[in-house]
Amino acid sequence: MKSRTWMVVSLLVTCLVAAFALSEVYAVTKSQIDKQRADATESALAQVLAGAAGFREMEKDSLWYGLDSAGTKMGIVVRSGVRGYGGPVPVLVGLDLTGRIVGIKVASPAEGLKETPGLGLKATEEWFWKQFVGGDSTVALKKDGGKIDAISGATITSRAVAKGIAQTIRKYSEHLGR
Amino acid sequence: MTAQKPSRIGYLIRPIVRENAVLILMIGLCPTLATTTSARDALGMSAAASFVLIFSNIVVSLVRKFVQPSIRIPIFIIIISTFVTIIDYVLQAYQPSLYRVLGVFVPLIVVNCIILGRAEAFAYGHGVFDSFLDGLGNSLGFTLLLVTLGAIREFFAAGTIFGKVVTPGWYRSAPMLFMIFPPGAFFVIGVLKALVAKFKLDKG
Repeated sequence: MKSRTWMVVSLLVTCLVAAFALSEVYAVTKSQIDKQRADATESALAQVLAGAAGFREMEKDSLWYGLDSAGTKMGIVVRSGVRGYGGPVPVLVGLDLTGRIVGIKVASPAEGLKETPGLGLKATEEWFWKQFVGGDSTVALKKDGGKIDAISGATITSRAVAKGIAQTIRKYSEHLGR
Repeated sequence: MTAQKPSRIGYLIRPIVRENAVLILMIGLCPTLATTTSARDALGMSAAASFVLIFSNIVVSLVRKFVQPSIRIPIFIIIISTFVTIIDYVLQAYQPSLYRVLGVFVPLIVVNCIILGRAEAFAYGHGVFDSFLDGLGNSLGFTLLLVTLGAIREFFAAGTIFGKVVTPGWYRSAPMLFMIFPPGAFFVIGVLKALVAKFKLDKG
């Protein structure tokens, strides 16, 4: 009987000490973790919509307004994620107010891209994503009647990027313009 | 193996090569295979696992007199997972790029067989200092193996080591890509295992 009590007490004490230690570490690191997350998003947004002085999140993780220094809307950033070969292909697209693409950023593997190295992963290479800059909601692969060269051996990934961008621009078209 | 009186230096030295947890005992293979796609990632994983291993060994050894055998496993797991969560927060806060690469394998350190194995097989029956040495030795062994594996795979798959270019351009334009896939990891660890058998590193 005594040993059973001791068993309960020792487990309880272990849990209490562990919980206390964790809450302390959490309190110390929380602000830094939030800051890192915000920084990562901010720098990605700035990359696709150069010239914006700030961003306002309109829909969580999928739509931002880019603001100039006077605080007026000068563009929007949207996130698309159409299924590629290994999973959704996350792409950030910067648009000016006429709906023209001014910058895009395909997520790196560390940010959630799961395409095949050497094939679909080439979607992060500059020659590929640069082709979209200047396009609008009609972007499509050459195979599908558009102007974009697909990555050889990775049509599915290339199509996911092109389709994702076109669909997402159409989805958020009401946010374009002033 | 001849019976010999275990010495303190032995606690530190033996797990590095002769009783290397991954290479000789073949435990802890999951994080080994998954996080050694490059030398830098392998080093990051080793550092995180080493932190947990050393501190859980110390704490398990400290509390071993108060822990009844029947509930030792839950207590070990609580101790280990506490340290894992600490390193998880710390990496997120101060090494976000490394954290993104290691991803799910940081929380999975909780179930790393090496860490629970050392708590159970060593720290539960030895003093604090000896347990620290054992944890350090095992950490060094784990790190040595992971970084070797990571460097070999990175060399063949990308033509670089720790991100430094070490091969001519013609190689990097068509490298052995399969090395960064899971089969590449099995392949390299198989070769290392064969070398251990050939040179009898586990018998020395």
